[in-house]
Amino acid sequence: MGKKVIVVDDAPIIRLMLKDILEYNGYEVLCECANGQEAVDQFKALQPDLMTLDIVMPEKDGIAALEEILSIDENAKIVMVTAVDQRESLMKAIRAGATDYIVKPFENDRVVSAVKKAFGEE
Amino acid sequence: MDTKEEKKEIVVGMADIKVGEAPSVLLTNLGSCIGLCLYDPQRKIGGLLHLMMPSAGAAVNKSELKKAKYADTGIQELLQQLKNIYGVRVSDCSAKIFGGAKILQGNIHNIGMDNDAAVRAILKDLGIRVGACKTGGEKGYKLKFNLETGAVACQIFGEQIQEF
Amino acid sequence: MTEKKKIDRALKLIAGLSIDKSSQVLSKMIKMGASIEMRDVYMADISQLTANRTAEDEKEVVGAFIDLVGDAPFKFLFYVSADDSLVLTDLILRREVGTSKEFDLYSQSAVQEIGNILASAITNVFATDFQISMRPSPPVVVNDYASTIFQEYIMSAALERDEILIIETVFCVVQQDISCRMFILPMQESEKILNYIVSTM
Repeated sequence: MGKKVIVVDDAPIIRLMLKDILEYNGYEVLCECANGQEAVDQFKALQPDLMTLDIVMPEKDGIAALEEILSIDENAKIVMVTAVDQRESLMKAIRAGATDYIVKPFENDRVVSAVKKAFGEE
Repeated sequence: MDTKEEKKEIVVGMADIKVGEAPSVLLTNLGSCIGLCLYDPQRKIGGLLHLMMPSAGAAVNKSELKKAKYADTGIQELLQQLKNIYGVRVSDCSAKIFGGAKILQGNIHNIGMDNDAAVRAILKDLGIRVGACKTGGEKGYKLKFNLETGAVACQIFGEQIQEF
Repeated sequence: MTEKKKIDRALKLIAGLSIDKSSQVLSKMIKMGASIEMRDVYMADISQLTANRTAEDEKEVVGAFIDLVGDAPFKFLFYVSADDSLVLTDLILRREVGTSKEFDLYSQSAVQEIGNILASAITNVFATDFQISMRPSPPVVVNDYASTIFQEYIMSAALERDEILIIETVFCVVQQDISCRMFILPMQESEKILNYIVSTM
């Protein structure tokens, strides 16, 4: 199996889309999370190679989860997923150490490209 | 030759009151609001109040108060209209109460419950008998108040129609 | 110009830009043209507005409620009939239309996500065109009567005042005969910002 990924988004349909794209391209999706707290908990438990992380989520948002995960592992590969250009949030995420970002609605190629880039595969 | 009067459907919006006589039908949809139906079976006259909040509070002193928004001012206004237009007295009326659902979940105050409690308390003080009551839940209510019979057809979203 | 006219003008400007951006984003998401069938900015009495909705007797709908929070608080609502939400689910997932047969977690989340993306498109317009910082809250999705959903949507504004200013848009998805509605409603605290927008025009 390929590199291990956790998909985080509060919308099940987005999680399904990302999972399908990633698995089709040879990545193993370890689990799906619906909010930032689950993301942090599963990151600690499963230690994925990469995480896709939505920004706007209930309970704990993506920025808070990102900061917490990077405090656990400063080399964690996190690709943020945001709806349209939420510039302020994106800048915050990049400054905090996110690897890259994808804007919803996304194309399959863009998802794959961001993930490959994070792994240094392109 | 028999003449059949067409049933006139009167829609009641949020924060509003409508009164009428047989064979009219009063219609409304409810969420957290309460729909209070008052009916005089002798005269076949009724009214529907679609209220949003339990009490006008300090707003009661406003010059342009939308009385039907609140249980306290709305019920007074409904009774006043029934009396002024049709000569219906408080003692002639019976009541049916619907709605007060919590549509939006999460950490949001349940105003529907407050509305329900306020209406019951006011009706009790006025000595108005409550003939039927269907309140609470998490889904919307569709009401049809038939002024010919006093019956209210209530359909909660996703359920069968119930007649009260 | 009176205060009301100023706010009306500001809202028409916001509506124009937001709705154009929203239709582009929606089209991209479902990979199909989503055209604007109706766009209107109007002030209406809450009783009349809600009575009209009840009279329309629409089918069951699925609605996404979102708060746009920040310098100019707005309330956002997107809704579509439950049957049409199944078609939108198939379009988003690039499946043959008709694959989704029952309203389930994915069709609910399709509406959630469309609402999220449309609301974000609107906050993007505020940021890029007016330098006003806004962000959308996580969507709350409800399946209910259209008029019940609409009443809950305008509730907080209706508690503050008896007449509300509202932007209503009907999108039509070309080729699928789907009609969706989107509403944007400024809260009272937005008036200063709206006045500011007019002053810059």
